[in-house]
Amino acid sequence: MPMKRPHLVELLTALGLILVPFVLPHLGFSPSTINRILIWGLFGLGFDILFGYTGLLSFGQSALYGTGGMFAAYLLTEAGFPNVIAAIFIGAIAAGVVGYLVGLIALKRTGIYFAMITVAIAEVFYFVEFNPLSDFTGGENGLPGVPAPQIAFGSTVLKFNTDWTMYMFLAFWYFIGIVIALRIVRSPVGAILSAIRDNPLRASALGHNIHGYKLTAFVVAAIYAGFAGGLLGTMQGFMPPDAFLFETSGQLVMQTAIGGSGTLFGPLVGAAVWLYLSDFFQNVLQLGATWKLVLGVVFVLLVFFLRRGIVGGIVDLYRLATGGRKAVDPDEAAETSAGTAFDPTAIEAMPSRRRGDAPVSGPILQATGLSKRYGGLFANSDIDFSIEHGEMRGIIGPNGAGKSTFFKMLTCEIAPTSGKIVFEGRDITGMGVTDVCQLGLTKSYQINQLFDRLTVRQNLIIAALGETRGKFKLDLFKGLHKVPGLDERVENTAALVNLTRRLDTAVSELAYGEKRRLEIGLALATSPSLLLLDEPLAGMSPRERVETVALLKAIARGRTMIVIDHDMDALFELVGKVTVLQEGRVLVEGTPAEIKTNAKVQEAYLGGVHGEVA
Amino acid sequence: MFHDLKGGLSRRRVMQLGASVAGAALIPGMPNLAWAAGEPPIGTWPAGSQGDTVSVGAAVPLTGSYAAQGADELKGWELAVEHINTGHELMKKLAPKVDKGLLGKKVKLLSADSGAKPNNAVQSQQTFINDNKIIMMTGSTSSAVAVALNKFAQREKILYLAGISGSNDTTGKDCVRYGFRQNFFGQTAAAAIGPVLLKQFGKGKKAAFMTPDYTYGHTVTKSVNDYLTANGGWKMVTNQVSPLGTQDYSQYLTNIANSGADFLINVNWGRDAVLSTQQAKQFGLLPKMTLVIPYQIPFLAKEVGAEITEGVFAATDFWWTQEDQYPLAKLFVDAFKKKYGYRPEWGAENAYVSFAHWARMVSEAGTFYPPAVIKQYEKGETIPSLLGDVHYRPEDHQCIRPVVIVRGKAKKAMKNDEDFWEVLEVVPGAGVMQKPDEFGCKLGDYT
Amino acid sequence: MINWANFISQCFNGLVLGALLALISSGLTIIYGTLGVLNLAHGAMFMLGGYAGWIAYTYTESFLVAAAAGSLFVMIVGVVVERIIIRHFYTRPHEDQLLVTFGLSVVLVEAVRFAFGSLSQRVPPPAPLVGITDLGFMIYPTYRLALLGIVAVALLVLYFVLYKTRIGMIVRAGIEDSVMVDSLGINVYRVFMLVFGIGAMAAGFAGIVNAPVVSIAPDMGEAILVQTFVVVVIGGVGSFPGAIIGGLIAGEIISITSMFNPGYSYIMLFLAMTLVLVLRPHGLLGQAGRE
Repeated sequence: MPMKRPHLVELLTALGLILVPFVLPHLGFSPSTINRILIWGLFGLGFDILFGYTGLLSFGQSALYGTGGMFAAYLLTEAGFPNVIAAIFIGAIAAGVVGYLVGLIALKRTGIYFAMITVAIAEVFYFVEFNPLSDFTGGENGLPGVPAPQIAFGSTVLKFNTDWTMYMFLAFWYFIGIVIALRIVRSPVGAILSAIRDNPLRASALGHNIHGYKLTAFVVAAIYAGFAGGLLGTMQGFMPPDAFLFETSGQLVMQTAIGGSGTLFGPLVGAAVWLYLSDFFQNVLQLGATWKLVLGVVFVLLVFFLRRGIVGGIVDLYRLATGGRKAVDPDEAAETSAGTAFDPTAIEAMPSRRRGDAPVSGPILQATGLSKRYGGLFANSDIDFSIEHGEMRGIIGPNGAGKSTFFKMLTCEIAPTSGKIVFEGRDITGMGVTDVCQLGLTKSYQINQLFDRLTVRQNLIIAALGETRGKFKLDLFKGLHKVPGLDERVENTAALVNLTRRLDTAVSELAYGEKRRLEIGLALATSPSLLLLDEPLAGMSPRERVETVALLKAIARGRTMIVIDHDMDALFELVGKVTVLQEGRVLVEGTPAEIKTNAKVQEAYLGGVHGEVA
Repeated sequence: MFHDLKGGLSRRRVMQLGASVAGAALIPGMPNLAWAAGEPPIGTWPAGSQGDTVSVGAAVPLTGSYAAQGADELKGWELAVEHINTGHELMKKLAPKVDKGLLGKKVKLLSADSGAKPNNAVQSQQTFINDNKIIMMTGSTSSAVAVALNKFAQREKILYLAGISGSNDTTGKDCVRYGFRQNFFGQTAAAAIGPVLLKQFGKGKKAAFMTPDYTYGHTVTKSVNDYLTANGGWKMVTNQVSPLGTQDYSQYLTNIANSGADFLINVNWGRDAVLSTQQAKQFGLLPKMTLVIPYQIPFLAKEVGAEITEGVFAATDFWWTQEDQYPLAKLFVDAFKKKYGYRPEWGAENAYVSFAHWARMVSEAGTFYPPAVIKQYEKGETIPSLLGDVHYRPEDHQCIRPVVIVRGKAKKAMKNDEDFWEVLEVVPGAGVMQKPDEFGCKLGDYT
Repeated sequence: MINWANFISQCFNGLVLGALLALISSGLTIIYGTLGVLNLAHGAMFMLGGYAGWIAYTYTESFLVAAAAGSLFVMIVGVVVERIIIRHFYTRPHEDQLLVTFGLSVVLVEAVRFAFGSLSQRVPPPAPLVGITDLGFMIYPTYRLALLGIVAVALLVLYFVLYKTRIGMIVRAGIEDSVMVDSLGINVYRVFMLVFGIGAMAAGFAGIVNAPVVSIAPDMGEAILVQTFVVVVIGGVGSFPGAIIGGLIAGEIISITSMFNPGYSYIMLFLAMTLVLVLRPHGLLGQAGRE
């Protein structure tokens, strides 16, 4: 995300918060409603990082909201702790700790499983609050008598005990909250979180410990929730037990959806709409018990028609109005690239990584006796394979020969049933794909695995971050542009795969050939010392093939590569040696010339149903 | 107090507001932002009573498990407000100085759905205070809401009349200067129904309790059990505690079936009470055991049916057949039935009477100024209710009122389809109330 | 000291509750397994079944008619909801599906409240099943005994539909490999509609046969929904046998814990879920790779 005007959003937020007391009351918002909206908005900031940015839809935020609030309220009422602000912070930390523990369990699964587990966990918290801990939480009565915050400066005491002074207090914290949230989403961690949302598989294959980052997002959301819970208690002088209810989580989710997830401001706007409408239906339209029905219908309609929520809709409109010039027609882009006769060999690829004191000659990777069994079926059996440093190897074989399975085992996406893989002298059998990528072994996929909702630049940033930052680093507040060498690496990779002009285009708008090149670019941006390419030429036009072969030649300098492809002419031109797989076994290995004339290979291809003759 | 931004907001204050929002609030030496309230203005007084109408706010469950009881309460308040504004005969008897309005102003009832959740209740009332300057609030149907609104009332200095609230805490440890309760509660129910049970069944019986797992449930169970154990030598053979919102009570009922109890004392409330009672019947515990409901739930009999409530003992605030003994009750039942088409249960009765009492206090005090109204209540004068004379205790703001003990009629003995209970006894309030300080009530300040 | 009569009774309670949970959960799980949509309005379907049955009962006084009408009505509601709303969400993110079904459940619950009020309504069991049966070692409400049979039959029917019919074959194929179904050249959308209807019907049928036990109210679905989630997580998402085993386990845990301390029944249930997640993240009978 290039920030042409840094801190513009922060400035506008501050301005908005200052204007609110002068504008919203005229629109029928009472000050206490505005205060509640701010609390929901702050609660939602964390939730949006979890849901909108990381793609983890939790229905259990109530547990953390309640925990933080109850913790603070208990300190302030029963325990006689004097400082309201400190108590809220302690509550937020408690919620963070609880969030960490809950996250450990809930993040065992993702997607819908995750949503269900969070519902169930939140329900446990409700029961625990109600009964075993009722001596601390007041059970169903909650904790009344939470004092209003005050700040003492010598003899002057600033007391936030009226609606508008409370507004200032809350607006201040909302502002702090949004500043922190913006920093997080603009940090390397933020980039990786959106990568996890779009394609967790690829994010981990690019060397990011996605579990760690998901847990981070969960804890961040928990801290926000806990903090907002603490504010709720002091705002209304009473910490309600219903903070723990499923309905609290449900309302948060609905408000975020209405406002627009992945926008940070969505929850705030959604809360404003929700609270306003519920007041409006009840007090102005006098709907009585029907208010919830009407609001439910409104909600369903909004989800149905306004996919990205109100804020998302506004952003889209804004882009539509101003961004027309930005979008480059893919055909036009293709023409330009053709016109300038793209030549990747002119570009110096980023060097591959050197790690530790591994030798630079001899075999970089050795697999011995590698087998993979699915049920009774052997996809690979007893493969011995070795590749030298700096070598470019081709793998061919009829469909179903087990080529992709073989690659998946080498990159540790799947564990072999038996056998051993040694990479740069290290036994990597049974390691994860993330660790292996960190060691400098990665692959580009047969079917594109991109981060579709992000731009080309963001895609490459995510890939490059794996190398520059290691698999897990909590640089939550660091700007992306402050990561050393990142921009250089991204631009270099983009140039190599001829996507420089398309850097700020969303992946979803790319042409197929461009996506294929980006797919290779992602693998390349991790600076692998061993790069596996699974059918890089598949589906490309003849001209694209020529370009891509040139590209592969360019990146092969100082790098070891293994390429699977069906385009044998191209492959034989590229590689020094070819391994032929058939029915999960190594059939033969040799130079392209040897392979072309090998009788077994001829038979394998001609005899096979899928015969693609070399 | 600085509730209204639209009203007089001086330029200087505007500047302060703006500056502080930008973060300058923390600069030392800023004047105290809690603009000290000058003497008389308090809560929404006098702003709330300056027009020709005064508003009162009700936060009442219209959705969720207590929605049926909430809707009934709301009707009671509506009727009371209508009677205040029209100077209805019944209202004139309860509050003689009411004359087509209160102190020359019409009363307007605002209501919002609380879903029986304290947070929603506080939220709605806060909005009513800001937007409508309500001068009194009400609503609960759950003690949690009552306690929350109690504390909120004290903070905001707005009078609060509890709706249905059975917990001892409401006028006990969580009592406040600004809160009043008309209806009976756990302790009084226990003290009233206990002697009746002992008189009917004698000493040394075995009782199984079903308790909803929250403070209200535990206090009522304790009150009832303490009484029966101390005075009748009864024994609690099992106490089945179930979470709020339980659907299937089979496991609890199985435990009770195996406990050898003679009595099943069911403290559950709302839908929990309906389900647990119905299922007790399915498991054959009824009529084998005698069911006792120490704190009767409005509409319970309608929901579970007379075949189940037959022979059940319950304590309640009011039952409509008392119209035969009490003329004011008859006026109320008639007016209610005329307007809503069914006979009121005690949720509506409590709603109506508490409003009438409030109207009386305001009209007697001759002002809406809250401390004056509170002091009027605290005179402890004997005043009429639907069930004869009552008074409010100045020490804890609890109305000293009778508790009605009823027994379920057999279906064939019912004279109409709402004739579920026969009134066994009307136990005078004075004898069954605990001492005012027994539950640790400290009322707090007037201003 | 454990009272054995009590223990056996509790096991029985667990069985009845578990069977009911199994039936509702299998509806949830086949919808999810085939369509990839977690229907948060499933609890509302359970409630709708109860209400539709109750209305049919008030007019006909026949429990059989009520049960048939209840389940049929919910099936129709399911099909209509699928056609009008859910269909448009297959290509949208999972989150949108959750949101819209969540909103739908609010609408259904409040619409029923609007139409029939908040007071709970009773549907008596069929006359021959009123009363208590003495089994020798314990006495048990006759209808609950029968309920066990009714639910077992319903599960068998569901089993038959899933494992012995063409549509069931497609459904199971879809659960295992949704791409495969596409390539079979089947009109997937018609199948989806039917599956949604059948899944909803399982919940609706449970709602009406359970009505004599619990009586019906607009909010009855919410609590059951959370329990079915736990069942599905324990059993494995998308697995029909998993839903049954998960249901029975959940029922037994709730019942047996309550012998010792009822307050902890649900806490134990969630602990069990956590344990399953730690030891077998995909659930007891779930397959890896389905999220």
